[in-house]
Amino acid sequence: MIEMGLDPDAIDDDDDTKTEILPEEEETVEDEEEEVEEEENAGEEDDEAPPPPPPEEPEEDEPEVIMPAISPSKAAVKIGGRPKKLVNSFNFSERAALTYNNPMRSQEVQTTPPPLATFSANVLQWVIYDAYQADYEAQQLEKELEKERKEKEKASTSRARPVRKAGKVQLSEAVQGRVLECWRVLERMINLNSYTEIAKDYRYWDDPSDEFRVEEGTLLPLWKFMYDKTKTHTVTDLDWNPYYYDLFTVCFGFFDFVKPINNGAVCLFTIKNPSFPDYICITDSAVMCADIHPKYCYMVVIGQYDGAVLVFNVQQSCKDPIFKSNNVTNKHRGIVWEIKWGPDLPDGELNFFSVSADGKVNNWVLMQNELMRLTIINLYLDQEAVAGPDGTKFRLKSCASCIKFHPDNPQIYLVGTEEGLIYKCSTQYSSLYLLTYKAHDLPISRMDFNRYNRDIFISASYDWRVKIWDDQRLEPLFSFDLGDRVGDVKWAPYSSTVFAAVTTEGKVYVFDLNINKYKPICVQAVVSKRRNKLTRLAFNPKLPIIIVGDDKGCVTTLKLSPNLRIPCKAPKKQQHLDQWTLQCMKLDKLLSLVREPVTLSLPSDTAGLEED
Amino acid sequence: MAEEPKPRENKEEKKMVYTYPLCRHSDMPEETKLEVMEYVVTACEKFTGNNEAAAKMIKEEMDKKYGPPFHVVVGEGFGFELSYELNNLLYMFFGGNLAICIWKC
Repeated sequence: MIEMGLDPDAIDDDDDTKTEILPEEEETVEDEEEEVEEEENAGEEDDEAPPPPPPEEPEEDEPEVIMPAISPSKAAVKIGGRPKKLVNSFNFSERAALTYNNPMRSQEVQTTPPPLATFSANVLQWVIYDAYQADYEAQQLEKELEKERKEKEKASTSRARPVRKAGKVQLSEAVQGRVLECWRVLERMINLNSYTEIAKDYRYWDDPSDEFRVEEGTLLPLWKFMYDKTKTHTVTDLDWNPYYYDLFTVCFGFFDFVKPINNGAVCLFTIKNPSFPDYICITDSAVMCADIHPKYCYMVVIGQYDGAVLVFNVQQSCKDPIFKSNNVTNKHRGIVWEIKWGPDLPDGELNFFSVSADGKVNNWVLMQNELMRLTIINLYLDQEAVAGPDGTKFRLKSCASCIKFHPDNPQIYLVGTEEGLIYKCSTQYSSLYLLTYKAHDLPISRMDFNRYNRDIFISASYDWRVKIWDDQRLEPLFSFDLGDRVGDVKWAPYSSTVFAAVTTEGKVYVFDLNINKYKPICVQAVVSKRRNKLTRLAFNPKLPIIIVGDDKGCVTTLKLSPNLRIPCKAPKKQQHLDQWTLQCMKLDKLLSLVREPVTLSLPSDTAGLEED
Repeated sequence: MAEEPKPRENKEEKKMVYTYPLCRHSDMPEETKLEVMEYVVTACEKFTGNNEAAAKMIKEEMDKKYGPPFHVVVGEGFGFELSYELNNLLYMFFGGNLAICIWKC
């Protein structure tokens, strides 16, 4: 820079080349500066050097003074010398590069055209005229309607009040009468809707896996029946209505005698309305059993925990019984365990039999306005009288726990006791047992006669066993151990060899002796083992379902899978035989395997004759 | 716009001629429709007997207000079949003998 300031001419000379040789110039400048620095350093060194003799100093100064004068010329000489160096003053090479051209691509976008529609019309004077005419009429009509509406509104506001007042009175009257009936229908309809899926299952679902399992079947749980007020009760008895095949009676009482319950109920449920019982009879004592008259299906007789018996006509009223045993003089002195309607007396009076833990079997006749009691039998134990506390002799009685009448001969009946005995009795003899079976070791819970062969009956007991008996034979034909207390056992109405039992464990057992004489063909836990106990069971006489009751007041409906209800196939030679005969034959064939032959024939005699 | 008896038909005592604007067909939004009908009434009243001028006035008004291309036909007797942009059609009667058709396409 100094140089440029000092030597403008030289710069002028270089002017045209200046821009292109800029790097060269800078070099020269640096060179100059270095030279200058060197000179200065030299000067400094001189200063630092041992002091020369003073006279020499002026000599040294002189060249310094001269220096500026010399330096421009020096620089000029130097620049003037450069052009030689700068022979290749245009020292650059030309290079070209081309960036990569992106490939072109065309893209088109088209908006959807605005939606169009076509419209056409013809304008004629008469068209215009008609249009006006029609419009005018419409307007006129609108006005009239408006007027009418206003009038109505006025009228309705003025009339509404008296109408409502009258309505309340009418409504309350109607509710007592026919509206109730309508509500029932409506309730059923709602239930039909809400339980469609179960109904479809019931109707159409047959366990398809049954085809592949030969000797097993399953139970499909369907509806569950509960009543809020009897949730804590135990189902103590179940029975289907003999007339309406969808209606069944449920008794609510208790079996856990450590925790007595003060009230009980009998509810009549229908499978068409699983949400609420159709009839509810609340009683002041736990209900232990009930029976519906086979002819008058609205007559329900109830046996209670306190020994009383009640007769309800559910058609008339569910609140008050039409007959009630006297609570002091005319009652059982123990729990009424089972109750059965008997055949009507010759005079047409209804009568029923009850068995109770007091060891009596009573016959009750419904007189004009009271119940007449007749003790048929006192179930004395077959042993010597024992001495009472005050020395009087006292004959021990057995406690009856169930009763079953012979289906064909109503004079004959069986009584099961808590001692495990089964007495076969006749209503004709009040102090005589026709037969005594030493059946079980613990109380007998229920018995049932076979539908096809009246000599065969079955008994269930709390000693875990189910036994099948033959009349006049003191040993059981079959005995099954179910591994827990058996609450109930019933023969199936559709087959002579099928029966079902429920155990406290919560399992339902279904046996078909024709298929397996030793094992059940279906064992299914229906309720949870810990919380619930199954108590009772009943086959529907018509439909392939059973109901089971548990100790939480819940009744479960179960559908029997096809393997559990196989009908009898007629043999080829005997196609004409009906199902009843076939079922009887099936059972007889089975029984012949277990029964001892009645008489032993002497084959030798006949053999001898043939030989001759 | 006064109601006059029609001389042609004398069966009934009075044949009313109605002159109020009557919308025959429209797919415009209700508000737009009412506004457009107002323009039509104004235009037709301004140029009574000069349908061309009335149509021109309506078209210009419509173009300004709702954006071009609007087409307007005003006449006493004609037939038409047209394609129109949806929500932009009005076919109405006015004055008892005029039909006005406005559409955009």
